[in-house]
Amino acid sequence: MRPGPVARRTLALVAVLALLMTGACGGGEQAEAHNDTDVMFLQMGLAQIAEGDRIAQAVERRATDPEVRAVATELRGAWRTEAPMMRGWLQVWGKPMTAAPDQKLHAGHGDLHSLREEDFTGLGDLAGAEFDRAATALLLANLHNAMETIRMQAADGAYPQAVELAERMTESRQNQIQRLLRV
Amino acid sequence: MRRRFTLSVLTGTAVAGSLLVAVSPASAHGYISSPPSRQANCASGAVSGCGDIIYEPQSVEAPKGSTQCNGGGSRFAVLNDTSKAWPAATVGTSVTFNWVITARHATSTWEYFIGGTRLASFNDNGAQPGATKSHTVSLAGFSGRQTVLARWNIADTINAFYSCVDVNIGGTGGNPTPTPTPTVSPTTSPKPTPTPTATSGTTTWAAGTAYQVGARVTYNGVAYQCRQAHTALVGWEPPYTAALWSAV
Repeated sequence: MRPGPVARRTLALVAVLALLMTGACGGGEQAEAHNDTDVMFLQMGLAQIAEGDRIAQAVERRATDPEVRAVATELRGAWRTEAPMMRGWLQVWGKPMTAAPDQKLHAGHGDLHSLREEDFTGLGDLAGAEFDRAATALLLANLHNAMETIRMQAADGAYPQAVELAERMTESRQNQIQRLLRV
Repeated sequence: MRRRFTLSVLTGTAVAGSLLVAVSPASAHGYISSPPSRQANCASGAVSGCGDIIYEPQSVEAPKGSTQCNGGGSRFAVLNDTSKAWPAATVGTSVTFNWVITARHATSTWEYFIGGTRLASFNDNGAQPGATKSHTVSLAGFSGRQTVLARWNIADTINAFYSCVDVNIGGTGGNPTPTPTPTVSPTTSPKPTPTPTATSGTTTWAAGTAYQVGARVTYNGVAYQCRQAHTALVGWEPPYTAALWSAV
C-alpha cells in the first residue's frame, strides 16, 4: 500500500494512542478507530492464509480433479490481494504481524490453526484420488477455521475497511467451500 | 470526549488477552464430509433452509451420549428434521467415512450407529487424531435407506461431535423424494443470516446471539451478566470467558 495522507494521519493517531496508553497526556482526534477484534482478525487471518497457501500450492501441482485445482488457484489469487492489505493495516497500527504464540491457549484443543510438517510430508506420500481426498480435507479445515475468524470480524470488527473485507471474504470463501464439498 | 476515548482504549486493551483465550476453543472440531453428512449437505448448498450451520458444519458439539443428529440441545435442531429431503448416498455394505478435522481434540472413541445398534467403535485411547481421519465401517445386516449417526467422543471434555450421514445401502431403498437439486448455484453465495439480539430479561445463553453490556443469561443453571458487548460463539460459554461474563 502506498503511504498517503490517510496513512500518515493514522500513524499520527497511533502515536497519540501510545501516549495515552502509557499514561501521558496527549491530544488528538479519533479517526477511523480499530479494535482488538480487527487486530485479531488480521493476525489470525494472515496465519490462516499462510497455511492455506501451502496446501493450495500442493493442490495446484498435484490434484487430479480439475475443479479442486481451480478452487486452489482461485484461492491463491484472492489471498494475493487480501494478504498485503491485511499486513498494511497492521503496519499502520504498529501491531505485530503475528500474535504471540501461547501454547496455554490451546491446551486440550490440539494444534489450532497449525498443521504440522508431517501433514505436508504425509501429503507427499499420497497420489491420485487419495491425495485429492486428503488435500481437500485439509483445505476445507483451513477454510472452516478461517471462516470463524472472518465471521467474528464481520460481526464485531470496528475498522470499516476490515469489516468490508471480512464480508467479501465470507461470500467468496463460502462459495469455495461449497465447490470443494461437491467434488 | 478525549477522556471517554482513553477509557475505551484501556478497556479494549484489558480484554484483548482474555478475548484471545476465548476465541481459541471456538475454532474447533470436525464433521464427516464424505459420504456427505447432513451438515455437509447444508454447507454445500445441496439442502437449503439450514440456518447458521452452513458456516460451521464442524461445530455440532454437545454432551456425549445423545442419539440425535444435533447431539440434543437447541442448536442446529434442523439436523434432526426428518421432513427435510436429506439426500442419501448410495453405498455398499462397507463404507469409508471421511472426516474434516479443524481441531485435534484428544480422542477417546469414534462410534457409529444405525438406530440403537452400534456398528463400530474405534478407540484412540486419548490420542490426538491426524489432520485427516477415515474409518471403514461394515453396514452388514442393514439395507435400503438408513441414517448413520457418528459420534466423535472427546477425551478431555464432556462433549462429543455429532454427524448424521444418510445412506442408501445397496441402492435398493431409494430416496423418499427425488434427490433435490442444489438450490444455490455455484456462482452465488447465500447471504449471512442476521444475528439474533438478546431481548430483555434473563435468557439461556446461546451461541450466535449478540449480547450488550448488562445482558443477563443463564448457563448450566448459573446466572451471568455481560461485561463486554459481543456476539457469542461456541467455545465462548460464560464459565470460560471471564472477560465477557461475570457470575451474578
